[in-house]
Amino acid sequence: MLRVDTYPTHEHNGIKIRRGKALPFGATIVPGGVNFSVFSKHATSCELVLFKKHEKNPFAIIPFPDEFRIGNVFTMMVFDIDYENIEYGYRMDGPYNPREGFWFDKEEILLDPYAKAIGGREVWGREPDWNDKFQHRSRIIFDDFDWQGDRPLEIDMKDLVIYEAHVRGLTKHPSSDVKYPGTFTAIRDKIPYLKKLGINCIELLPVFEFDEFEHSKISKVTGERLMNYWGYSAVGFFAPKAGYAATGKFGMEVDELKNLVKELHKNGIEVILDVVFNHTAEGNEKGPYISYRGIDNKTYYLLTPEGYYYNFSGCGNTLNCNNPIVRNMILDCLRYWAAEYHIDGFRFDLASILSRDQKGAPMVNPPLLEALAHDPVLGKCKLIAEAWDAGGLYQVGSFPAWGRWAEWNGQYRDDLRRFLKGNGDMVGRIVQRIQGSPDLYSDRGPTASINFITCHDGFTLMDLFSYNRKHNDANGESNRDGADENYSWNFGHEGPTDDYGINRERIKQVKNAITILLLSRGVPMILAGDEFGNTQFGNNNAYCQDNEISWLNWNLLESNREIFDYFKKMIEFRKKHPVLRAEQFKTAYNSSGYPEVSWHGQEAWNFDFGASTLTVAVMFAGGAEDYGTEDDQFIYAAINMHWELHGFELPELPEGKSWYVVSNTGMIPPQDMWDENNHKKLADQNEVLVTARSIILLTAK
Amino acid sequence: MEIKVNNQDDIKVIKLIGDFDGSSANKVEDNIMPYIENHSRLIFDMGECEYVSSAGLRVLLIIAKKLKSVEGFGVLSNLSEEVQDVMEITGFSHMLNSYDTVNEAINYMKKGE
Repeated sequence: MLRVDTYPTHEHNGIKIRRGKALPFGATIVPGGVNFSVFSKHATSCELVLFKKHEKNPFAIIPFPDEFRIGNVFTMMVFDIDYENIEYGYRMDGPYNPREGFWFDKEEILLDPYAKAIGGREVWGREPDWNDKFQHRSRIIFDDFDWQGDRPLEIDMKDLVIYEAHVRGLTKHPSSDVKYPGTFTAIRDKIPYLKKLGINCIELLPVFEFDEFEHSKISKVTGERLMNYWGYSAVGFFAPKAGYAATGKFGMEVDELKNLVKELHKNGIEVILDVVFNHTAEGNEKGPYISYRGIDNKTYYLLTPEGYYYNFSGCGNTLNCNNPIVRNMILDCLRYWAAEYHIDGFRFDLASILSRDQKGAPMVNPPLLEALAHDPVLGKCKLIAEAWDAGGLYQVGSFPAWGRWAEWNGQYRDDLRRFLKGNGDMVGRIVQRIQGSPDLYSDRGPTASINFITCHDGFTLMDLFSYNRKHNDANGESNRDGADENYSWNFGHEGPTDDYGINRERIKQVKNAITILLLSRGVPMILAGDEFGNTQFGNNNAYCQDNEISWLNWNLLESNREIFDYFKKMIEFRKKHPVLRAEQFKTAYNSSGYPEVSWHGQEAWNFDFGASTLTVAVMFAGGAEDYGTEDDQFIYAAINMHWELHGFELPELPEGKSWYVVSNTGMIPPQDMWDENNHKKLADQNEVLVTARSIILLTAK
Repeated sequence: MEIKVNNQDDIKVIKLIGDFDGSSANKVEDNIMPYIENHSRLIFDMGECEYVSSAGLRVLLIIAKKLKSVEGFGVLSNLSEEVQDVMEITGFSHMLNSYDTVNEAINYMKKGE
């Protein structure tokens, strides 16, 4: 059926147009043409600028007639557009007065804040033409991917095992053995590997279009080009990073990413995106015009009374997240990714910024966070906050949650690291961390806690036990950048060594760390590559290193096979024991006749919670009735982070059950970890001897 | 883009010559759709089609779905490695089987009888 409004009413230099529809924002393919809609509260006029793909000069500049404006929205429908072969932008006129917050410049061609695809950086690392005034070019796409019945997986939060990965870093290294290294599609090639490891959720570092050339320069130390490699700096929030797509050069990054999501889902793996709404790539007063600054600076950014950019992000500007316009853009954006890309969840970078009001002050009930928590489209999405910002707000345990928000538990990371390094004062905190951090999340349950020991930001797990200090010289900032407080320890030699003893200690520490992580209640997150001892050579802030410092070296999978095997079996172990994945902080006696979680010292049932000690044991008793298992499950872990051997008296089991060894990090393979059907019965059922800095994990049969 | 249609018994071999993109998508769709009727069998010879854009792939997908709805059958042949990869990577490869040559495609279709 033909629509009445599919006929042009106006013409501009031979191009047929009519008034468009104000909603949705962005460029939408409609019968007969494309509907353009863009907001600006303070612009006095607006022009649509159309380019043939890749061309420097526009083929048409169409002013929006004032009669096409509806409220603060410029709208226009343009007929007979070859949508696939054009790029578009806007030019906005209005006041220029930075003190008042106005930055209009009618010469600047601006990216559509709602652009669903963005040209200009289609091939990663290809030097852009800097003479081109229009660097990031809005493109038009069709959202008609053939999902074949797919939808987000909705795996229970309690059952997740998250794997944090950088799209490019995961497969760019020559050892990764994929056809198109460093791309979305290469992740597909790694699906069998990810399944074997046993993770069921991959969290991708930012995939919204960013400019890898932002702040790019040649390192004086290495002579290599430093890139904006991590990409925590969005150019546009609705478009996937074209340079991450093998088909980006054909403008097909949208389909490539959707197909990746579909294939991951088919294999039981969810996708969480790391999203960065705290700032944009436009930087501070000296930054470029990309979009927001030229479209409505005062609306999009938090400004000081003198008109300067607030810098709560540490990246030059701060998005005005609790302005109703920006808030709606963020909502539209996340709904779009959830509905059109079937994304399962989001991790919000420096999320505390989202709780600041328009003057920068933290709010008790930030409307944006509340709206996200209650949004219908996002109703089943995971929402995970990095609950701090660079402006000094630290909200771990107190992030406004509405029963929906989980947090990266930075406390977990720090406490675990300090305890593993040998700080016995931490033991009280370790008790909290293993239980899912009831001290932080008493109202919210363990699944509010994303437990991690390492993430992209900081040392890799192997480096944590190989370096005392960060080694960031290659970043070109004289090793000043990156965290100084890493709670790391090199076991007597800084960096790689041939010393067998030191290398064994490091591998053992990696296994100790992962054992505690996967026994802890809450949601475990693993940094990609940690499962085979990947190294960044001591760099703890590799944000600019597009090279072997950041790229996972898959050769290590062979040399460190024992680490991979250990991770894999620990993940399996977690999956088989629901008591570890509890949604409540239950510790009291249950149907097993034992307390659900109990703490022991070198004597069973006797643990001094006030002590400073490096020996502690935890027992989980999963009652069959409580957890729907075939039989009552008993798990006992004797943790000895002391530098001497200690004996642990074992709690007595119910009649007919005996203790069996699941793993012993103090042993070398194959005795470090036994298969499910091959667990070794302890000869002495009353006591285990745990060697220095080791964990023995037992289960009852 | 040029479109040549040959009949091999009751199989139509459709040769697409040139770039199959947004500017030719409508033309291909308009030209091919009339061939799709009950049980029709189509082979696309892509040997002289070096580039298939997103709009081109969408036309192929629409054709594939239409064929399925009338119990017809369509396959691709002679795809360049690049086009084949693009289809595979972007999730369009499930819609139409692909054969190295037109003859292989014909043999397959005839055997399918």
